[in-house]
Amino acid sequence: MSKINNIVDIIEAGIRAESLRQKTIANNVANLDTPGYRKVDVKFKELLAKALDSSEDVDLSEVEAQIYQPKKTEVKSNGNDVSLEVEVGEMVKNTLHHKTYIRLLQKKYRQIELAINVK
Amino acid sequence: MEVNTGFGPIDIAISGLRAQDKNIKLISSNVANAQSTDNGNGEPYRRLEAVFKTDGDGIGGVSLDEIAPDMSDFMKILKPGHPDADEQGYVTMPNVNLPIEMMNLNAAARTYQANTAILKRYQEMVETTLELLK
Repeated sequence: MSKINNIVDIIEAGIRAESLRQKTIANNVANLDTPGYRKVDVKFKELLAKALDSSEDVDLSEVEAQIYQPKKTEVKSNGNDVSLEVEVGEMVKNTLHHKTYIRLLQKKYRQIELAINVK
Repeated sequence: MEVNTGFGPIDIAISGLRAQDKNIKLISSNVANAQSTDNGNGEPYRRLEAVFKTDGDGIGGVSLDEIAPDMSDFMKILKPGHPDADEQGYVTMPNVNLPIEMMNLNAAARTYQANTAILKRYQEMVETTLELLK
């Protein structure tokens, strides 16, 4: 990591990815019985790892999550590959990630506040 | 550098839910076809059974390995007027045993429930950890 990344930037990128993922999950669940619908997912982990690895200066606020179709999931007889169980699991994970990011952000702000208040 | 976001137990519990969901599908197929004397190939419906296997070696989720037909004998009942009856008037019935299916359904539903319990409890555990950040 060449650049000292601001933790707030990392958390912000994470929160943006989580809200995008929440949208894709909602979309998948809404299309649970739509014939021929293929589920969509969000790619972020890999992109973040690449950004953190790269030797150049990367602006984490520009790391954008991407939507893609996994195409490896089991397809039902109507050509649809959404599994309610999987989506529920994704949502639980997403919620926990989101909570973690928010708590970290909260903690960070509290630290800054503490520094300001030192007399 | 790897960004690890592992929530292992959640994926394992979800694999359990999916496996039991398919198991319940098989059981309902067995129950629905308990009286089907014709499967399209001149045989009555043959009972299906789910075979599960562990994903990966050691700690891992579960997946449906195969759907195995139950090769036990068909039951014959006397019903001379039935279109599928043989010369002696016997009709070959499916090898589905309803009480056994009900028992399997109970077991499958309980396993499904247990997996949701794991999911919920793990979620609570992570939330407890997050309390430390408060």
